[in-house]
Order: sequence, then structure tokens, then C-alpha cells
Amino acid sequence: MFYAQLVVNGLLQGLIVGLAALAITLVFGIGRFANAATGDAMTFGAYAALLGHGLTGSLAAAGLAAMAATAALSLGSYALVFRRLAGRSAVALLVASIGVGFAIRAGLGLGFGHGQQLFSVPLVRPIRLGEVIVNPFDLQLAAVAAVMLAAVFGLLHLTPIGRRMRAVADNRDLALVSGIRPERVMVALWLLVGAVTGIAGMMLGMKTVVSPDLGWEMLLPAFAATILGGIGSPLGALLAGLLLGVAQELSTPFVGFTYKLAISFVVLLAVLLVRPRGLFGRIEGVR
Amino acid sequence: MDAYLAAIAIVALIYILLALGLTLQYGLTGLINFGHVGFFAIGAYAAAILATHGAPLVLGFVAAAFFAGLAAWPIGLVSLRLRDDYFAIVTLGFSETVRLVITSEKWLTNGVQGIPAIPRLFSGLTVGIGAQLAVLAVLLAVTGAAVLAMRRIVRSPFGRIIEAIRDNEDGLRALGKEPARFKVQVLILGAGLAGLAGAFYAHYITYIVPDQFIPLVTFYVWMAIIIGGVGRISGAVVGTALLMILLEGSRFIRDVVPGISEVEMASIRLGVIGILLVLFTIYRPQGLMGDFSRK
Repeated sequence: MFYAQLVVNGLLQGLIVGLAALAITLVFGIGRFANAATGDAMTFGAYAALLGHGLTGSLAAAGLAAMAATAALSLGSYALVFRRLAGRSAVALLVASIGVGFAIRAGLGLGFGHGQQLFSVPLVRPIRLGEVIVNPFDLQLAAVAAVMLAAVFGLLHLTPIGRRMRAVADNRDLALVSGIRPERVMVALWLLVGAVTGIAGMMLGMKTVVSPDLGWEMLLPAFAATILGGIGSPLGALLAGLLLGVAQELSTPFVGFTYKLAISFVVLLAVLLVRPRGLFGRIEGVR
Repeated sequence: MDAYLAAIAIVALIYILLALGLTLQYGLTGLINFGHVGFFAIGAYAAAILATHGAPLVLGFVAAAFFAGLAAWPIGLVSLRLRDDYFAIVTLGFSETVRLVITSEKWLTNGVQGIPAIPRLFSGLTVGIGAQLAVLAVLLAVTGAAVLAMRRIVRSPFGRIIEAIRDNEDGLRALGKEPARFKVQVLILGAGLAGLAGAFYAHYITYIVPDQFIPLVTFYVWMAIIIGGVGRISGAVVGTALLMILLEGSRFIRDVVPGISEVEMASIRLGVIGILLVLFTIYRPQGLMGDFSRK
């Protein structure tokens, strides 16, 4: 039963990793680079949610604040930095995204200080399902994540702009000659990525404590989930995130609390060496 | 004041050693090593552990370079199979894992408490700043030797091959050269330099903890070579000098502008590094010492 509890805990952790990986994989698939600023953008979302939650006390307001603020940040980083690097090597974009991440973290450190801040979440009696204990607040967070995911997949698969985004991801040149305007696709992409990142950051902040280093620590698990899921595959990113979250929790009794973070690195290496296209990815591109 | 300048010069030379290693790996060969600090940490801990257990100091330096190089070997084998940006993520993960290991394995590294009382070099010279100057002289000699060796490498057939790996790997393969072996060698050499830098660092600072080996250090070095000019030995030196001015200069800003706390200064430094990385990648990717005609 102990392990069932760990699986339940891991699922929520996995949703957070999965959302972060979703943001990374969308940029990887459409913008063609590994966005290392994702972690720090998550931190930004957590602080925005902290402000929204502090003012109203409602989870919905916190989520909206995180989404709106991080989407604006994300679009800003595209307009100011990544758009100017279009056509340059993936390395240039990667280095620039590290710089963007540092700048965001520095701004948060200056604006909010380096102390740890907590969401004032009401204490609720946990629900017992047999031997497994579930916190109702975790269920609310999972519901928020589910709504976000439904919105993302709905947008990608049911709307014209989503179809265009998938077309650019699939074959950029073909999409361009078919008359798709790349600029609009990119704006939509960065807004969407920002909203996803913001929600991931809020969830992470609510499950732990908010400090300027919050999101950076998530970057490695998120990259690992992106690659495990197959680059550019949103569904893969989500499933891989869940898998990784559960694996991390399940490994804790065996390897200890510190080493559970190293699980991501081991998974990352194993996937790259054994099955570089990940669970759902295409074969091209990794080697 | 003399002691202060000597201290800055020592730290600068340690960073130059790191930058030379990265120049070899990224600048010349095109391997995106985002985990440089991991090799630096292995070198520092190898030297510190040996020295605090009474081993001769020279052995510590040899071991630092050896173990850092040894750690690079499997990373090198992985790199052969991966595209550039994936390799960057793997090396970043490597350095974070190294930090996890040195935090967790208390029996070896004393965990978060770190290793105190690492012997200084030349501690027998107690007159004035004699010991510091002696350290400086040794570091200058080692760095000078590294620069000369790098210049030899660039002009050697080996240098031409690794630059060809950076510029056109498929073309090189078509000429019948196998890039794999050279990539591994370059990684081990660069990591060995970083390990050596780590040993000097441990003996100079005399107290090391895992928190000194965060990825920010890697990106300090990246910033130095990007500002200086990627692939230029002079770029590594000039870029590191500018980095030191930036890092040390920020201390004086606090004297001039009162009311800035130490953590705020750390944030400002982080922000400046971040913004410079962005600005240089956008506007001057060839760096200050790079080829002005190319972009």
C-alpha cells in the first residue's frame, strides 16, 4: 500500500513535469531549439500566482494570473530575443535562452528577494481511499492541470491556428509555401507555451516553496520527459512526465531523497542511447 | 592592495584554465559542453580529499586532472551518438548529477558541510605575500604552458581535424577520418584542464562545498569565451579578463552605491551575465577577438 501512496504522490509531481515538458516540446517542435528559459519562466508564473492568490485567495484567480503574466513574459522573450535569432543555429538559441532564464531569475530575485515564500493554502481533511490518502487540494490542482491540458490539445487539434502550428512543426518549408504566416504561428506558440509554463510554475510553487531557484531545478526532469516522450510530441511529453514523476517517487525508498533527482539524468541517458526517438517521436534528428 | 591584486590574478588564471578547456571543446571542436563545472568540481574534490588525507600535493594535482578526464570518457562516448543540443542537455545533467553525488556521499566528501582546511600551496613561505606570489607564478607557468600547447594543437594535423569536425563533420568523414576518436580525446583533454583548474581552486580557497559548483560557473566560462571570441585562444584570455572585471567590479559598485545587499548584488550579477549572453549571441556572435569579417 505504501507504494500505491507513492504512485499517487508521483502522479501530481508528474503532471507538473509533464506540463513543463509540454512547453519545452512545443518550442522544440515548432521553434526548433531547447528552451532552457522554461524553468525560470515557471518561477515567474509561481510568483504571479502568489500575487493573484494573495489578493483574492482563489485558485482560479491564481491560475489566471500565472497564465496571463507568463504568457506575456513568453511573448516578450520571443519578440525581444528569439525572433531576432531566427535562422541561426540551435546552439545560439539555446545559449540565448540560458541568458533569458538568468535575466528572469535575476529580476525575480531583485523584485521579491531570495527568501522562501509560501502559498497560504487552507488545511483540509484528506480523503482516505482504502489505505491511500489523497489531499483534496491536490485534486483541485490536478483538475487545473486537466483543464489546461484539454485547452492545449483542443487548440492544437480543433482550431485553425493549432492546425497551422502542427503544420509548421511537421514540415516548416511546406507550411510556408502553403501560405501559412510563420509570424502568427510563432506568436500563438509563445502565448500558448507561456500559459502552460505559468500553470506548471503555479502548481510547483503550491506543492513546494516559492524561491527564485524554484523552476531551474525542474529543468532537467522536464528535458528528460521531453526526450523520453519524443521531441515535438505533446502527448508523449505528458505521458513521459507522469512516468518520470511516478518513477522519481517510487525510487525514493531505494535511492534516498537527494538521488531521486538523478533519476531524470539516468532516464535521459538511457533513452538517448537506447531509443533516441523517445516513446512517440520520429526517428530523425537526434543523432 | 598588492594582496588583493594577486588574489584577483589567481582567480582569473583559474578561470582562464577553465576557458581554455572549453575553447578546445566548443571553440575548436564544436562540442557544446554545458557541464564544465562538473569536471571542475571533480578536480577540486579529488585534490582536496587527497590533500586532507595527507597525500603529497603534486599527487593531488595529477589525480585532479586524471579523474576529471576519466569522467569525461563515458560522456565522450555518449556525445558520439548525439546531436549538438542534446549533448548540451546531457552535459548539463552530468554536472548537476556530480553536484548531487558530492552532496550525498558524505563519507567521501563531507556532504553540504564541505571540506575545510585544505592546505595552501607554498604555506611554508610566510613572509608577506610570498606564498601568494609563488602560487601566482606556478599558475602563470601552467596557464602559459596550456596556451602554448593549445597553439601547437591548433597548428597541428590534430587541430585541423578537430576544426574540421566543427565545420563539417560529414565532409571529414567523407575524407576517411573518423571524428569519434578525436571528439573523445578533445573532451578528455578539456576536462583534464578543468580538473587541474579545480585543484588550484581547492588549494587556493582552502574550503570547498557543493554550492560552489553550480551551473552558473559553467556559464561564467561560456560568457568569457563568447565575449572574447569563440575558437580564439586570445579570446579566452581577453574574455576571462573582462569577466573578472565584471565580477570584481561589482564589489566596488556596492562601495559607491550604498544600500545594495549581497544577495541583491548576486542577482544583479546573474542578470548582467544573462543579458550579455543574449546581446552577444544576437549582435556579436564572433566575440570581441573574433574575425570581424565573418558573422
